[in-house]
This record gives sequence, C-alpha cells and structure tokens, in this order.
Amino acid sequence: MRSHFSREIPFMRHRRTFLTLSCALVVIAVIGIVVRGLVFGIEFRGGTEIDFRDTGDVALGRMRDALVAAGEVDPTVQTTVTEGSQGFLVRSDTTDPNTANAHAEAAAAALGLTSENYTVTTIGPDWGADVTRSSAFAFGVALLLIVAYVSLRYEWKMSLVAVLALLHDLLITVGVYAWTQTAITPNVVAALLTIMGYSLYDTVVEFNRINENSRELRDGVHRTYYQIANFSINEVFVRTINTTLTSVVPVVAMLLLGGSTLRDFAFAMLVGELLGTYSSFAVASPLLAIWKTRETDWARREAKYGDAARRDVEEPAQEGTR
Amino acid sequence: MSKQDAGPGRSLGLSRWTGAGATPPPKGARGRRPATSSTGRRADLRLRRSIRRYVSTLVILLVVLVVAVVGFTPLRERITQGLDIQGGVSVIMRATKPDGSAPTSGDMATAAGIVQNRVNALGASETSVQQQGSNSILIQIPGATNADQVISTLGQTGHLEFARLDQIGDADALLKLNAGATNVRLKEGTYTSFMDGSDISTVSVAQDPTKASGGYAVNLRLGGDGSAKFAAVTKELAPIKGRIAIVLDGVVYSAPAVQSEITTGQVSITGGFSLDEAQQLKTVLDSGSLPVTLTYSESRVVGPTLGQDSLGQGVVAIAIGAAVVVAYLFVFYQGLGLLTMGSLVVFAVLYLGLLALLSHVGAYALTLPGLAAVVLTTGSAADSSILVLERFREEIRMGRSIRQASISGARHGIMTSLDADAVSLVTALALFFVAVGSVKGFGLTLALGIVCDIVTMFCFKAPALRLLALRAIERHPGFWGVRQDLAAAAPGEGRKGGEAHA
Repeated sequence: MRSHFSREIPFMRHRRTFLTLSCALVVIAVIGIVVRGLVFGIEFRGGTEIDFRDTGDVALGRMRDALVAAGEVDPTVQTTVTEGSQGFLVRSDTTDPNTANAHAEAAAAALGLTSENYTVTTIGPDWGADVTRSSAFAFGVALLLIVAYVSLRYEWKMSLVAVLALLHDLLITVGVYAWTQTAITPNVVAALLTIMGYSLYDTVVEFNRINENSRELRDGVHRTYYQIANFSINEVFVRTINTTLTSVVPVVAMLLLGGSTLRDFAFAMLVGELLGTYSSFAVASPLLAIWKTRETDWARREAKYGDAARRDVEEPAQEGTR
Repeated sequence: MSKQDAGPGRSLGLSRWTGAGATPPPKGARGRRPATSSTGRRADLRLRRSIRRYVSTLVILLVVLVVAVVGFTPLRERITQGLDIQGGVSVIMRATKPDGSAPTSGDMATAAGIVQNRVNALGASETSVQQQGSNSILIQIPGATNADQVISTLGQTGHLEFARLDQIGDADALLKLNAGATNVRLKEGTYTSFMDGSDISTVSVAQDPTKASGGYAVNLRLGGDGSAKFAAVTKELAPIKGRIAIVLDGVVYSAPAVQSEITTGQVSITGGFSLDEAQQLKTVLDSGSLPVTLTYSESRVVGPTLGQDSLGQGVVAIAIGAAVVVAYLFVFYQGLGLLTMGSLVVFAVLYLGLLALLSHVGAYALTLPGLAAVVLTTGSAADSSILVLERFREEIRMGRSIRQASISGARHGIMTSLDADAVSLVTALALFFVAVGSVKGFGLTLALGIVCDIVTMFCFKAPALRLLALRAIERHPGFWGVRQDLAAAAPGEGRKGGEAHA
C-alpha cells in the first residue's frame, strides 16, 4: 500500500468507461429481476422454515422422507454447513405453527435428533404484507430525510446525484440476488438499508471535499469542475481504500464464520459495500461534474481551460500541485 | 467546516499553496500567529488552558469508562440476549376484531394483559409480552423447552362458550365425548351455547377441598347475567348429572358433569386435575374475555444451544475483524495506529456499557441482526479514525505545523465523519421507528453504535491527538508515521507529495 501517489489518478478521464460499465451492470440487474425474478423468504409470503443443525450423517433423501412422513407437503430441503457440521434448511408453505412444530418434532424424532438440533420459524400469511409495507415506508422516510439533509448541507444537485448513485448500488445488489436466486429475507432488507447508509456515507465524504475545493481551491492547476472533482477524489482516495478495507474485513469474517442468519446479511453487505465505494467515484462524482459543468460559470471555465487540462493529463510528466 | 467558525488564533479552512516552485508559506501564515513577546505570553496561557481542557476531558472519559466496565461485567449476564440467541419461543400475534374494525389501544392493552396471564401460567421465567405497532403483540419466552405446549396454549385465543351436552347435535363428537375424549371439534352450527366467556369475571386455581389426595380445582366467579344463566341450567342438569361442555373456538376442551345447582355464581370445576392441567384449564377460561381474535404472524422456536452457537460465531467474526483492522492500521499509520486502537477500545467500552445500561432498564436485547449491526458500527468507528488521521496528515503535508494540523485536522475530520454519521443515523432511526420485528433491533443497535462513535470522536480522538501533537509527535515523527508528511511539506520536496492521498 502506497501512502503517496506520484500523480493524480485520472478518474475523470475514464468517466465514460465507468458510466457505461455501470449502465451495463444496471441493465443486467434489471434483466435478472424481470426474467429470473426474486425469491422472497418466508417472512414475505408466509410459510415455515426449519433449520436443522448438527445432523451428523443424515442424508438429504432421508431428511426429505422423514419430513414427508411427518406430514409436510412438498418441503424444499437444502443442505447447509455451519462451522463444519452438517445441517439442513427446510422451507414449506405450512403457516400454522402448531402443525409446523409437530412436523419438525416428528421428523427429528424419526431421524434420532433432539429439540436442540432445530429451529422452527413460522410466518403467518398476513405478516409479509406488514413487513413489506413497513420496510418500504422506512426506506422512503430515510431517503427523503437524506435528500433534505444533503440539499441543506450542500446543494440539491448533489443530493439528487447521491440518490442516483444509491439506486445504482441497490439495483445491482438486488440484481445479484435475482441472478443467484438467493432468498430475500428481512435481514437482507436490513442489509439493503445499511448499504443505503454506506453508499451515501462514501458519496457524502467525496462531495464534502468537492464542495470545499470548488469554492476554495485556487491553485492555478485545477480550474475546471472535472479537474477539481478528480483532484478531490484523489485527495480522499486513500481514505476510501482504507475505509472499504476496514469495513469489508468484518463483513467477510461474518460471511465465513456466521451462521445462516448472519451470512444472508453479510452477503448483501459485501456486494453493497464494494458497490458503494465504486459508485461514489465512478458514478456520483462524474455525474455531478458533468451536470455542474453545464452551469454557466463552470462551462465558461471548461471552454477556457478544458483543452489544456486534457493535454496535461495525456502528458504523463505532469507536475505536482505544489 | 465552513470558514465562519474560524476564530482568531486558529488556522482554519482549506488553503493550498500552489504552482511549481512557489515558496511554502511560513508556518501558521493564515493563523495570525503571535510574533511579539506579549502576545506570545497570551498564546502560552491559551495553550495551557487548552491542555487543561484536553486532560480534563480525558479524565472524565476515563471515569465514565471505568463505570462502564464495572457496569457490563460479566458481559453475558449484563446484556440481555434476544430469543434468537438465548433459545426459546418468540411469537408475534396479530389482533383482529370480529367485525373487521381496527382494534383500539384499549383492546390491545387488555389483550396484551390476558396474553401475559396466559404466558405466566406456563410457568416460564423472564417472559415478555409487548405490544408492537398498532395491532401486534410480541411474546417472548426464553428457554422454553416445550414449544408445542407454549404455542398451543397461546393459540387458544378465540371464543369461549358453555353449552349443554344434551343440546349438541353432532353425533360423532358426542360419541367421542361420551367415550371420555377431550379436545373434540364440533361441527359448526350443531350446538347452541347458553353462556359465553364474557360472563366470567375471575378464574383461579385452588386445592380441591373435596379430595384428600390433593387434586386441584379451577374456580370461576361469574358476573352479570352469568350467575342467573348458570343457575337455570344447573337446576335442570343437577338431578341427572348432566354435563356442560366448555367450548373454545368450536372445540370441546372438557365437559364436566354438574354435581349440584349453582346459584351463587361461584363455580368450581374439579376432576382430580394436576396443577398443570388446572392451570391450562384456567388459561382456556381466561381467553373468554379477550376483546380481539389473535392469529399467528410469526413464530420462532430456537433450540437453546443453536443461538449460543450463532453468538459465538458472531463474536469470533467481530474479534477477527477488529484484529485485522487494528493490525492493518498499525502498518499503515504506524504509531498513530495506537490512537486508532485506543479509539476502538474506548468505543467498544462505551458501546457495551450503553447496551448493558439499556438492558438493565429492559429496553434492549441483543439479537442476531443486532450483532450484525455491532460488526458494522465497528467498521464506521474505524472509519472515523481514518478520516481524522488522513486529514491530520494531509494538513501537515500542506505545510501546517503538527500542532495546528492536530487542531484543524481533527476538526475537519470530525465534521466529515459527523456528516456521514448523520446520514447513517437517519437510516438507523428510520429502521428503528418504522420497521417491525428483527429489523427494529438492528436499527436500534446501529443508532446506539453511531452515538458512541460520535462521543468517542469528541471525547477521545480529538483531545488525545491534540495532546500528542504538543510534544510526542514532533519529537518522534518516525514512530508516529508522519515523517514523510513533514518531508512532503518541506520546500523543494513538494514535487511528489501534496497530491493524491495527498
């Protein structure tokens, strides 16, 4: 890891590449959501989930047979591994907790397992609607508050671009869920809402610097908005890398060590955090710069210095700022 | 952040000295540093005052930390564990009115009270029954071993009726009842009740005085028209020892035979019940006065050892994550890594203390999603250190003295973190106030972590960095990892520094 870069990394020069890549990813994600569809956890549609652990050498077929014999209708059985020990995750449409527990108990007894070995979660059919509504509401409220905060603190263009970058991150993350057909549970929703926080956090840190530099930077080298944005990204880039590493490490630990509950969450977090970091310099800042350059003042500067700036960047022997 | 808060004697705002070959400004050029000896004395006084302020902040923090450490040990007992960690039964029930209208808050309070009674009757300790949202009740029974019994008892929620056995028209059911079966379902419309649960005013369990062997009896006190109706029916049935069926939601729970005419409204049901059986019958009878119908929304039965496993995995994940982060920051920031590690320790102690405090007043329980939130906030705590240190070193590279950089760098770093924290806090609070179920606990834990991070920034990071900057860092720039930044600020060597990271 270098603590100094000998010259600016030209993020802005590659803005079209970044934006094209992002567009492509978003399109792929949308296709995934439309074509493959999303798998919702039982919390959203009602049903039962039985998590068997430490099942030893019980084979998948035997587990399924035991469940069917206990009266479960068409259960989906998946194998799981938690800390090296075998287990099963069973999903079915049973919405009555009495029945579900009786089935789990009967199946466990048939396989020689005890009540220590399993967890039964049953969700009533109406609950999903409640969860969905309240999550969507929480999302909406948070989004509005954030737009208001960023608009007041900085400017409205920044808040809109930040939200656009956020939607980019969320869409792609959800796209990954669609393509991998991983179930979306309330934990995943919590993760998505956290991604929202992270993505904005990164973008805000960058915008904070761009905002400061666009008002106060008078160094005679960085004159156009593109240059200022690029310089600002470079200034905070080491921080960005360090932060991403420090927040990704615990998430990866969670992904490797956590049980199925934590893993759900960690998977979404990992994808979202990486995207959040990427989108702040590859989506949010370029879009902001493109937009701001259309303002009269910045457009004039671009016309005056833009060509020179581009020439500078292409000549590798560019001098430092000082 | 903005320049308005620039007071005299401080150097604020971002300025850059530019152009190849430009001379770097004298230290503190923008900060109106004292040049004469009289102002020098004043500056000295001010310096001493700020040292006193930093030291006293740190001392107060230390006291708080000691209190927190005492408060949260032993950790396992002091921080309440949620059901998904502790093991047990967690049920969310949704209330509906028979006529489809929304339950009033009064209805919900009554329903929650009755559910609480029912849960108490199960004999589990530390149960909790909470109203959630406008129409849900969250019931948590830690360590419940007999999940089936809990769920079936809680599920008996509906309409309680009393019917004469000789007025039940369901022949199959009668056959079973006469053979001594219990829990027999009656076909709808095949019976008429003479009284329902609303006529019962109290139900209690007592020793059966008529049995020498010490069985239990369930005593009812009837109110309103109840005693009159019951008197009329028992008058007819007593001579023939006719039976009265106790029907809950169309299921005959039991059908005791009438021994004598009961006119006082004091009814005693006997039958050699064990204490458990009597309690269950009492629970059934209690449900009669429920103003709403409760249906299952969510039920989780967690094996007692499984949750502990998950907790263990989570804690290991956090420990490994924190260790890797600290090691990385040491490599990257060298001596300043100590500051980051210190901040993480302060943060962790404050956080655990706060969680223990809230657990103590019953406002917090650590769940698995909560554990995930702990992992995440640990990441943001490390991040706010990085922001401060980056800014500190950047200002050194820009030519500020170490002391000035510690003042304005910490301020700018903290302001940036505050902006970012504010955004996360908005999300966390929205989750806490709006969401239901497990997501709620996640939001609360996240919000508490952010608060602790902010406290750590102001009470530890800033004063500690500023104190270090007075002497230690200047004397050993190599150890504290700022030598290259100082070099970058030095004239003639600015060619490579001062940019990216920089």
